[in-house]
Amino acid sequence: MKKIIDVLPLAIFIGLVVVLFSFLSEKDDQLETVLIDSSFPEFSLKALSDDSRILSKDDISDLPALINVWATWCIACRVEHPFLMKLKEESILKIYGLNYKDDKNKALELLKRDGNPFEFSIYDFEGRLAIDLGVYGAPETFFIDKRGVIRERHVGVIDEKVWETKFAKYLDE
Amino acid sequence: MNRLILLALLFFSIGSISSNDEKIIFNNDAYPFESETKELLFYSLLIELRCPKCQSSNLSGSNSPISNDLKREVYELVLEGNSSEQIKSHLVKRYGNFIIYNPPVEPATYVLWFGPFILVFIASLIILVIRKRVTK
Repeated sequence: MKKIIDVLPLAIFIGLVVVLFSFLSEKDDQLETVLIDSSFPEFSLKALSDDSRILSKDDISDLPALINVWATWCIACRVEHPFLMKLKEESILKIYGLNYKDDKNKALELLKRDGNPFEFSIYDFEGRLAIDLGVYGAPETFFIDKRGVIRERHVGVIDEKVWETKFAKYLDE
Repeated sequence: MNRLILLALLFFSIGSISSNDEKIIFNNDAYPFESETKELLFYSLLIELRCPKCQSSNLSGSNSPISNDLKREVYELVLEGNSSEQIKSHLVKRYGNFIIYNPPVEPATYVLWFGPFILVFIASLIILVIRKRVTK
């Protein structure tokens, strides 16, 4: 008994060090997603390509679909751009863009130069729909199922691996 | 005794830093208010709410684009006459408990809330046992 008490403080201390140290390498800066399983929020925003076109939730009609938050200032978005193009070219599902706090001309230019994987892009300069989606950066990708319900969210670059592990399963439902 | 005084001073020093904080951000014309209660609510919320991007600073201490958007959101909600609780739950619904520094007591946060007390309890037990042995 005495022996145990003697080493207990040291054991607890070492235990704490190990636990806390393991958290250090785990670079998890992703917030929880509260919106999973709730329906896509209502919005009313202009289209990126056409000032006179006001988009709403009803325009995201070809479901299931991905909503991809992107911007020209976001370097990681360029990394995932070819993958989004691939999803479009292989007609796997529709992708709708949410152009986030961006310069409109630069955004249009990029789509023209690198290709446009989106059915349309919502122009959210003020970040209004983004707040309703709990977006805190770009890129972010949401999966909307047939009923218009958010099923999955990915913060960061979406690629083949992320698609396979996180999103593909919802497509077969 | 001296130690107790030092400990008390330590606590008071933390209190004075946060009240300074409030003074610095007041007198800001960027968000005009007609009522003082609403203004107070707005600035107290900026101190209470956390910036989702920068993680270790509150909205008032951050100038990142997302923080400025959220300040605008809070500003509009305050102007509409929402209460502090309503505004917080509005944001928690979108960003999760992360956004408030005061996480609710629920199974996921039990360790956070009760862990320190358990550690103090274990430590005092150990100290007691060792002391008893020494006096023997």
